[in-house]
Amino acid sequence: MTRLRYLLILIALGVFAILPVFLSGNLLNAIIKMMISALFALAFTLAMGQAGMLSFGHAAYYGLGAFAAVHAMRFVEAGAFSFPTPLIPLAGAAVGFLFGLLFGWFATQRSGVYFSMVTLALAELLYTLAPTWNSLFGGESGISTIRGASWGISFGDDAHVYYLTLFWVTLATWCLWAFTRTPLGRLALALRDNEHRVRFLGFNTHMARTLIFALSCLFTGVAGALLAIATEAANYTAFSSKASADVVLQTFIGGAGTFFGPALGAASMTFFARVTSDLTRSWLLYQGLLFVLVMLFVPDGIGGLIAEHSKKVKKGGYKALVLPYLLCLVTGLLLLAGVVFLVESTHILLSDGYIAKTKSSGGAAVPFSFFGQDFNPRSWVTWSIPIGLLLAGAALMPAAMKVTGRAWLHATQSAPAQGETA
Amino acid sequence: MEYLVVSTLNGVVHGLLLFMVSAGLTLIFGMMGVLNFSHAWFYMLGAYIGFTCTRTIGFWPGIILAPLLVGALGVFVERYMLRRVHKYGHAHELLLTFGLAFIIEEVIKLFYGDFPVSYQMPSYMRFAAFTIFDTNYPFYRLFIGGVAGLIFVGLYLLLTRTRIGIIVRAATFRPTTVEALGHNLPVIFMGVFAAGAALAGLAGAVAGAFFPTSPNMATDFGTLVFVVTVVGGLGSVEGALIASLMIGLFISFSVGLNWALADLFGIVGLGPWAQAFGGILTLKLSTIANSMPFLLMLFILLVRPAGLMGDRQ
Repeated sequence: MTRLRYLLILIALGVFAILPVFLSGNLLNAIIKMMISALFALAFTLAMGQAGMLSFGHAAYYGLGAFAAVHAMRFVEAGAFSFPTPLIPLAGAAVGFLFGLLFGWFATQRSGVYFSMVTLALAELLYTLAPTWNSLFGGESGISTIRGASWGISFGDDAHVYYLTLFWVTLATWCLWAFTRTPLGRLALALRDNEHRVRFLGFNTHMARTLIFALSCLFTGVAGALLAIATEAANYTAFSSKASADVVLQTFIGGAGTFFGPALGAASMTFFARVTSDLTRSWLLYQGLLFVLVMLFVPDGIGGLIAEHSKKVKKGGYKALVLPYLLCLVTGLLLLAGVVFLVESTHILLSDGYIAKTKSSGGAAVPFSFFGQDFNPRSWVTWSIPIGLLLAGAALMPAAMKVTGRAWLHATQSAPAQGETA
Repeated sequence: MEYLVVSTLNGVVHGLLLFMVSAGLTLIFGMMGVLNFSHAWFYMLGAYIGFTCTRTIGFWPGIILAPLLVGALGVFVERYMLRRVHKYGHAHELLLTFGLAFIIEEVIKLFYGDFPVSYQMPSYMRFAAFTIFDTNYPFYRLFIGGVAGLIFVGLYLLLTRTRIGIIVRAATFRPTTVEALGHNLPVIFMGVFAAGAALAGLAGAVAGAFFPTSPNMATDFGTLVFVVTVVGGLGSVEGALIASLMIGLFISFSVGLNWALADLFGIVGLGPWAQAFGGILTLKLSTIANSMPFLLMLFILLVRPAGLMGDRQ
């Protein structure tokens, strides 16, 4: 199993290493963003998934890392001192760690909701301060800089930035993974499960929590610095509660209980956002729906689902699961198509352009085009399509759930019991 | 003097509005331990329902319908969503309401567009209640304050003087015992959640007619409402009132003051040095007015983590 895992990691790294040969600059940029958000989510999970500290203000350290990198690059640009560009993320790491220690010392005095509130307040403090503090954060427009050439690499090409990001993300991921194997990393899990008991064992839990939080901020700072290097700018919106919210959403969609889940969630959600934001203006609605559905039906996230499968399904058990999963997929697609039809046609019908068209036509029904088809908004045929889709999906759902449940039992029944049951 | 009086009045009214929204939030938290992230979005929904009703059936029906509809949404959310994820812990409940906030905001944008809508009070309510120092003080501000005041008195009486209030307070304290005594705990939870949501909806319908009604109003308000509940003590209605008034006054006063930290240094003769140092020392209080509530919240959390009137951590 472990050999297989190493092999998979090596293959993945190899694929990542040769990607720039095939991809255009635009796609490469998308992958850079995906890798950065994956690292951000992994760093966040160090505090959240492992030590149980739900931080609502992790964007603070992300933004600080970005600003630290931009300032470092500006100093280099101005010739104040020389510092190789590939090592700029260290500046983000240092600033992230320092502020993580400082803010974390305050925040970790509380736990649970109060911890979340303190971190939220600290991030909001930065968010409201930054636009008014011109000298340090460049006001509302932020500050921009230029990547300097160093070590014989110009860093003008997207591929250079890609490899730089890949290197740092891989290194940081390895460090984060290695951290889970250290005594402090094991202590993090214990702190999440029962802080009282850890304290009775003689540990200084406040110090431990501060240190773990600061380490999480360190890697968050690296992610922020990588973002600043990729975009050559930093802006106060990096501190926004939306940035903090995004990482929480991505982590939970990926599955906070697993190591690689959050990275998977962050990368796929970043990709999802990039694709859907070009296609539709209501992409945030779909993202919200997706998130609520994951919370309701897959509380352990994608990573948890995968882990469940690899742990429970017996050899050859997947055969029994293929058909039920196909049925679920069909049900889901039917429901999705119905919702998308309703949302998008509402969007078109309420747009200014369409309203102007109806007015000029003198109250007659104006067809609207959608997916290359023309629909008449006054006809019952038009609306019977999404309603039919939704009804069909809803009718199939109980059957799909029943069949899948039975198949799941069938696929896992004779597997040796491992740990707790589902 | 004029500044003092007008700022105090504005601060009190703003504070009372904050209280209307945060009262529901603090009740829900005290009872169920759920920090309802979408609460400010319920407030926004109330404002938009009020706007729609004003366009179609009138202002007053809107004021009545908004809390009813938002309350009904609250019932749905509690019954079919929160109760499902309850077994996975508080983090999941919090995150669920988080996703809900996204959905509410985007649905509103879908139907009403990204820009503010002109939700107006009826013209017969648009007059100056009184004139102080040449400033005409709008009647509607007093109306907002009055509604909030009524809500506080009503809630206070309901919680302290009635049977329902006693059961609710007992359920906050010892839920299992209350259940063992034969009360239907899930229904109590649902009722409290719906009531909290309805209060937010009412606040939205009342305040939206005076303050701008736009898809951003929830984001602007959301974090502030959290600050109020934390400062007041999670679960305490009286605390929420005190904290709301405090924060309302805090904001309305700091907007008009041009103090900076450098002035403080000036008292001990370090003024020129501080001015030259710049940065955080020369930031005017008026420009960082938005940061003040968070500073206050940090201070409270570190000094008295249970909040002003809270009794637990």
